[in-house]
Amino acid sequence: MSEAVIETNQLTKKLGNKMAVDRLDLRIGQGEIYGFLGPNGAGKTTTIRMLLGLIRPTRGTVRIFGRDLQKDRLSVLRRVGSLVEYPSYYGHLTAYENLEAVRCILDVPRSRIDEVLSVVRLTKEAKRPVKGFSLGMKQRLGIATALLGSPELLILDEPTNGLDPSGILEMRELIKSMPKQLGMTVLVSSHLLSEVEQMATQVGIIAQGKLIFQDSIEALRQHSGSRIRISVDQGEAAWKMLLASGIQAEWELTDANRLLLPHESDEQLARLVKLLVHNDISVYRVEEEKRSLEDMFLELTGGGDSL
Amino acid sequence: MMRGVMASEWLKIRRKGIWLLIALGPLGVVGLQALNFFLRYDYLTKRYADDLWGAVIGNVHQLSVPTLLMGIAIVASMIAGIEHQTNAWKQTLALPVSKWCVFACKFTLLCTLLVCACTLLAAGTVVLGIALGYGTDIPLVTLLVKSYLPFLAAMPFAALQTWLSITIKNQAIPLTTGVLFSVLCLFGTAVGDWVPLKWLYLENQWNEPFYSAGPGLLLGLVIYVIGLIHFIRKDVS
Repeated sequence: MSEAVIETNQLTKKLGNKMAVDRLDLRIGQGEIYGFLGPNGAGKTTTIRMLLGLIRPTRGTVRIFGRDLQKDRLSVLRRVGSLVEYPSYYGHLTAYENLEAVRCILDVPRSRIDEVLSVVRLTKEAKRPVKGFSLGMKQRLGIATALLGSPELLILDEPTNGLDPSGILEMRELIKSMPKQLGMTVLVSSHLLSEVEQMATQVGIIAQGKLIFQDSIEALRQHSGSRIRISVDQGEAAWKMLLASGIQAEWELTDANRLLLPHESDEQLARLVKLLVHNDISVYRVEEEKRSLEDMFLELTGGGDSL
Repeated sequence: MMRGVMASEWLKIRRKGIWLLIALGPLGVVGLQALNFFLRYDYLTKRYADDLWGAVIGNVHQLSVPTLLMGIAIVASMIAGIEHQTNAWKQTLALPVSKWCVFACKFTLLCTLLVCACTLLAAGTVVLGIALGYGTDIPLVTLLVKSYLPFLAAMPFAALQTWLSITIKNQAIPLTTGVLFSVLCLFGTAVGDWVPLKWLYLENQWNEPFYSAGPGLLLGLVIYVIGLIHFIRKDVS
């Protein structure tokens, strides 16, 4: 993995008697989109608040850009843009004024406001009070605010919460484009696996305050054990053929013409489909059958009481 | 850093009606005294014949004390409320800015607005005195003392209200303490010299207004530092 932008060491936060975050060792490399995954109340937001210095860890340290956050908070935060949970905005001010209020503090040129407004496509709405904005627009304004200081690290907590499908798609495209276009590292939290899967390169899973998985998205796919379902016209013949080429397929209980295969690489799967087709077996569908996040959590945490 | 945060604070209070409030306070006080003096013109002019300007300034001052306390509570709550409304604290404090600076700027903003109100009060008093036909021989020192020193004496309340408004999300609480103080201060002259509420009336056994304003400034500083330390140590929700 490339040089670490965020590195936490045994990061712990105790809220009352509860361990909100328990000995977390995050490691996020330069240029990654890190998906920080976990069910509601798992400790994602608490972790992110500690990464931004909003709350103090009970124990452990946070290093960002190789510097100790507690000691160099201001110089670290100058290089970080963030959007924590629901967007924060001043409803009585226009979008432009909202950005200006932050710009004064960051001390960046005024032209940055127009730049970030165009990135999130709010230029036309710049002169309208934010209280009249839709949630999607407020969320985009939040992203614009986070981008204002040209950060090298972007921390986004549940940026797609409450957005409609087109808003989610838009947000996802925006986040995916950041590392490529601007060389940023992005930490994005979510409680939806499908969401993270579509944009992250690295994944960390947190449950009950503990980091239970941290690796590349590919490794997660392997781990999650997703399977391939193939629907054909002659189930038995196809099954035999696959078996002959060394693949142990399973019958689906409800339909003998549907076969379940273990997760295969794209090339291997293409080879199998070709094999079936060449042997006059009609392939109707090739689908990936994913297991739900809940199932995976149960497996990863090794018990039914993890959720 | 402080300049940037201050500029941001000024921007945030736009269109919030705070300026209207700052103008309304002193104008209300002067207006009520105008009513008082015009309705009882002959009586009051005869009674205070020796010191007509002193009477106008003194009466305005008496009424300005509860107004000042109420104003402090409302304006402090509005300034902090801007952040509480959409929980913008997390956004503001995740910026490269120290917590003490944010707290200090909110307090400075409140004080600056109050000085504006005091200035308006002084100006309004002069207009009232002239309108009453009390001449232009204005006792400037008395006017400035009675217009600005209560503000210094009110520092403990300004610091306390800023602290409460910033650290408590439910603004009903700081507003209640504000109302409580402005009611209690009506009995301010009847209590001992050591009671902060009395300081606002600038009355003490030495008959020296600075002996009321000085302790006010000092206690204000102490409460301000305690509030500041608490705010810095507190987690941001």
